[in-house]
Amino acid sequence: MHAPGQATDLVLRYDGHLAVDRSSLELPAGQVTAIIGPNGSGKSTLLHALAGLHEVAAGRLEVLGTSAARAQSQIAYVVQHVAVPEGVPITVREVVAMGRYPTLGWWRRPRREDRERVRAALAALEIEDLAARHLGELSGGQRQRVYVAQALAQDHVAIFLDEPLTGLDMVSARAIDRIIHSEHEAGHSVVLTTHDLEEARAADQVVLMAGRVVAWGRPEEVLTPAHLTSAYGLGALHGDAQGPFLDDPHAHDPARDDGISPGAPAG
Amino acid sequence: MQWWVEPFLLGFQQRALLGGLLAALMASVVGVWLVLRGMSFFGDAFVHGVLPGIALAVVLDLNVYLGAAVAAVVMVAGIHYVHRATLLKEDTGIGLLFVGMLALGVVIISRSSSYTGSLTSILFGDALGVTATDLRWQAGVVVVVLVASVLLYRPFLSLSFSATKASSLGMRPGLAHALLLVLIAVAVIGSFRTVGTLLVFGLLVGPAATAALVSRTIPQMFVVSMVVGALSVWLGLVVSYHLQTAASATMALVPIVLFFVILPVTRLRRRARARAVTA
Repeated sequence: MHAPGQATDLVLRYDGHLAVDRSSLELPAGQVTAIIGPNGSGKSTLLHALAGLHEVAAGRLEVLGTSAARAQSQIAYVVQHVAVPEGVPITVREVVAMGRYPTLGWWRRPRREDRERVRAALAALEIEDLAARHLGELSGGQRQRVYVAQALAQDHVAIFLDEPLTGLDMVSARAIDRIIHSEHEAGHSVVLTTHDLEEARAADQVVLMAGRVVAWGRPEEVLTPAHLTSAYGLGALHGDAQGPFLDDPHAHDPARDDGISPGAPAG
Repeated sequence: MQWWVEPFLLGFQQRALLGGLLAALMASVVGVWLVLRGMSFFGDAFVHGVLPGIALAVVLDLNVYLGAAVAAVVMVAGIHYVHRATLLKEDTGIGLLFVGMLALGVVIISRSSSYTGSLTSILFGDALGVTATDLRWQAGVVVVVLVASVLLYRPFLSLSFSATKASSLGMRPGLAHALLLVLIAVAVIGSFRTVGTLLVFGLLVGPAATAALVSRTIPQMFVVSMVVGALSVWLGLVVSYHLQTAASATMALVPIVLFFVILPVTRLRRRARARAVTA
């Protein structure tokens, strides 16, 4: 099994600005890797590059043993933000079915197996009852479950998720967390970005970013006070050496976010 | 019954109906992609952007379809250039080219000896002057638009959803976007003779927007859009005949009126459904 990411002296630019300065890393196959760092630290740009969606400015990047562009068909990618125009009658089933597009191409007709994959993905995220609903009618958490179901419906060996748990209601966060674990158990590589130190601690591997890769490896080796201070700056870190926590204004507490569906009962 | 049939007894009236229906079919199908992609402003600018090409063709006695096609390419290239060469958002480039091309078209046509007649014909079409040759040509364009919309359904839909996601799904959003622009150009060029460059936008966006209000799925939106488009042409011609109003303008007005009639009904229905769920 190939590593979902291997970079040597990688440089990434975003809108002409330096997003990730000369960095090297290797993400192990079949494990959960969390990319953590403050806002603008380059974590989403790095994930984009791994997904073959961002050009490499300098250095070398290999994904699943080949170039990121070639590996794209084997990667299911959950984007952070999709601005779906309100009032567009695109249903949840149609969005999830897009996950079959890499297999079906532009024209091939879907077979029973494709429909079964869509049904299974809807069931895995517990959104079967929402299948006929419009995407615009769903809460943020429900939408995120739809996007993860779309990725699950895709044939893949690795799944990349850009801040999958940020700002979610408890039900959606638990459903997606369960999928991350089941993907891991299935032997797939999981790479996700996060603001949450606890999420990063729960991963097998961590990449700490701050405009470059500050450190990468096992959580206990990477999430040290010294590394965290280097990435987040002085004053952001609280607690003791055994359990430091971040005072990161961009981090979200899922329990505080309102993820109630507009149509759901209030009481 | 006589009231509905009377406007279509003569040959030129029947050709106007057929030409309008063909224009409505292609415009309402392409219009769905415009609405889904959120490109209505671009569509509006685009239909005006072809004016200088047509005007030049009229003045120099060349093929108007070719003139429109060349102007469409210039329009898209201009928008793309402004967007790439500056930090301005794409809508600024669209606005600049929109006014610039429209003004250029009027300037060119003002050199024509029959300035008013030519300009009116280009802007507002000449539904009652549609010939059998126009109809054959339009029918061919309709087939192209319908087949392309079916074949390109996945790349267009994923592009409308998210360009980034479309790229990760291998749907080649850059190529899909270019093909969508070609399809818009084909539909506009294929329709302007009947409804005019100014009013073809009504058939592009009106039926699709109305369909978005009442449809539950995207395929349903296509069907409803085509029905609304066809209904608009037929009703527009009937009304224009009896009220002695301009045929193409009346056709373009019908889907807009339909939209504003259906909008409050759908809002009331949505509120009632939300109340039923929370009760």
